[in-house]
Amino acid sequence: MSLLDVRAISKRFGALKAVDAVSFQVGPGQICGFIGPNGAGKTTTMRICATLELPDEGDVRIDGLSVLSEPRDARRRIGFMPDSYGAYSSTTIFEYLDFFARAYELTGARRREVLARVIEFTGLGELTEKEITSLSKGLKQRLCLAKTLLHDPPVMILDEPAAGLDPRARVELRELVKALAQMGKAILISSHILTELAEMCSSVVVIERGQIKGGGAVGEVVRALQPTTTLFLRALEGPQACERRLLEQRGVSKVRLERDGVCFEFEGDADGQATLFAELASSGLRPIELAQQGKNLEDLFLSLTEGKLQ
Amino acid sequence: MSALAASRSFDDRLNPILVKEVRQALRGRYFRALFWLTLGVATLVGLTIVAQAGSHGARTGVGRSFFMLMYGCLSAAVLAFTPFSAFLATSAEWDENTHDLLVLSNLRPRRIVYGKLLSALVQALLYFSTFGPFLVFAFLMNGVDLLSIAVLLVTSFAACATLSLLGIAMASLSPAKAPRVLLMAVFGVALVIAWGFSMSFSAFVTFQPNELRDPMALPSIVAFVVACLLLGGVFAALAVARLSHDEENRSSGLRVLSAAIVLVAALFGLWMELEFGQSEFAWGLQLAVLLPLAILWLLFVCEPERLGRHVVRHVSPHPWLALLTAPFLPGGGRGVALMALHMLLGLGAVFVVRLIPGADAAELSQALIGLALVYAYAWIYLALPAAFASLLPPKLSTRVMTRVTILCGIPMLVLLPPLAGLVLGIPSWMEFLHPLNPLFPLRELSSGRAFTSIEKLGFLVATVVAILANTPRMTHGFAEVLAASRARRAALAQPS
Repeated sequence: MSLLDVRAISKRFGALKAVDAVSFQVGPGQICGFIGPNGAGKTTTMRICATLELPDEGDVRIDGLSVLSEPRDARRRIGFMPDSYGAYSSTTIFEYLDFFARAYELTGARRREVLARVIEFTGLGELTEKEITSLSKGLKQRLCLAKTLLHDPPVMILDEPAAGLDPRARVELRELVKALAQMGKAILISSHILTELAEMCSSVVVIERGQIKGGGAVGEVVRALQPTTTLFLRALEGPQACERRLLEQRGVSKVRLERDGVCFEFEGDADGQATLFAELASSGLRPIELAQQGKNLEDLFLSLTEGKLQ
Repeated sequence: MSALAASRSFDDRLNPILVKEVRQALRGRYFRALFWLTLGVATLVGLTIVAQAGSHGARTGVGRSFFMLMYGCLSAAVLAFTPFSAFLATSAEWDENTHDLLVLSNLRPRRIVYGKLLSALVQALLYFSTFGPFLVFAFLMNGVDLLSIAVLLVTSFAACATLSLLGIAMASLSPAKAPRVLLMAVFGVALVIAWGFSMSFSAFVTFQPNELRDPMALPSIVAFVVACLLLGGVFAALAVARLSHDEENRSSGLRVLSAAIVLVAALFGLWMELEFGQSEFAWGLQLAVLLPLAILWLLFVCEPERLGRHVVRHVSPHPWLALLTAPFLPGGGRGVALMALHMLLGLGAVFVVRLIPGADAAELSQALIGLALVYAYAWIYLALPAAFASLLPPKLSTRVMTRVTILCGIPMLVLLPPLAGLVLGIPSWMEFLHPLNPLFPLRELSSGRAFTSIEKLGFLVATVVAILANTPRMTHGFAEVLAASRARRAALAQPS
């Protein structure tokens, strides 16, 4: 059963259709990367999921609860981290977290225990008496994540949590998100830094101009997009000889010289690849390097989107 | 040990907003700077006056001046600084991007608003306790009697609560900064005016203390405090509505309060007749509450017709109960039904007073007709354009435009004939004596003039058209409630 179930939601802002029949699901323990160019409708979709915007059509189910007919109960199951995080002035880290713990109806010893746990998890222990306004962006993001975790929500919606963070803070955030997924939470995360997402996401949803362009498990999506495999071959006989022999083989296309070898597309599964290599060897070619060049999330993103803005 | 447990239990029960805002206020610069500034000015002025008194020896006059100045500082703090800080605290939720985080928490909108109010009242209490010794000193100097001090403290506390709620409601109206700056300016002016009124009232109480012993003084003070509470309730309900989810019930609280305004005015009028034989209060109060009611009616009759998806789940499964509560549920058609209900209550209240032996039956009969005529204007000016606007696509922009058009249109309709009269040389129009002015029929009735047949017919036709134009949406509004009630009955009948 999916914890976050987005069902054909649409949202208009005047003449602009910001979100157009968007559907996807995120299950427990999954980290779903939500990617798309600026103005694609990511934040609007996330805000609808978080009950902060009303869809014109469709519905979102959070742990089975509709955000339209049961928004208050759905909110209790959501941890939302907006792209522009909120921070009160004249407030220390502890006071901020204590306030939200109270706002989530945590009382007495339970509140103190949850605060201690969340502070430890996010590594804010030595800074609790620091005023929020004096914190760095990375620490503010951590604080916002800590606030999001206070009520232990099963669904987490993180809108651009890594934006503006330095490399170390990014790595730390990534590890925190992975740890949360291991706890069984369903996480929807948007980011512009696709390499970040590739390292932590189990699935992706690509959105452009309000419409879903593709989605699913990262490996599956890449395979579906690319029926051929890109291979690199280097042999003692040199690149020209490799090129000649390859062009004689079935299923081989787009052969091109690259460095001191050749790059080519091969249409076939693992058995086909093994047969190809055997045939190349039997034809007298002595390969010294064979490598598969996989597509990454960036290639996937570029192949799915057209870069059109709205 | 038990004391510690009790204090922790008390700490857990405190409104989280109150805890946060008090912490922020004590650490922030705004409250601390204003607190010490007010106290410093009061101390300086007090010492100067006392020093002058020592040299002149006129204690009573100096005592009064001392009290007036102390009360001036106190009322500036509680009627201007405190409500303004409530406005800023609410406004900061938008500016600091914490609004979304707040509404996503388990805090209900009502608790958020009350938390903001409580923190404002705690600040006010701090000011009251700080200025307490100064006021006692003024009493000891024979500057003012205890009754006057008590009356001023009670009324200023009530006004502080109402103005703070007004500030919270105004700050919650718009997430955009530019409109909020405009609202802040308007609110600032309103606070200065309120402070001016409080100073005039304190001067009246200080220099004419015997007026407070008049039999009508207590009812007037009670009326003021009750009016503050009701208005404060309306402002709170407005802020709660703004913080609620779009599919939640954002209207019923305001609707119940609007009915309470009519009922309180009715009961107060009845009490004034029974206790003091003042018949004019019965209809005068109904007339007086028309302005706040008209603003609320404007909100209600322009609401989208459809019941929110969350509201549908809370309609009573009992059909009669659902029908009875229908005017209190959101929706434009049901808003028109509520308006009709208010009018019936208002007219009924005056009619009941008319039945009391000794009441001025002739005056009240005439007042009943006048009040009915003013209510008819509400149908023509509010419900009729709202009925036409309900035929347009149900968009927020359409609703806003309708409300703004009606709000600006009514003064235009009242003001245009006098301007035309100025050009055309019609003296009666220039004096606002024209049928587009809702108070015109009252004036004509009081002067004893009988209306012409054409005037009566025109008025009747316009009112009937307004009622007929709204009948379909009222019918649809009730039908939707009955359908929701049926659906809930069916859902309850299903085995879990």
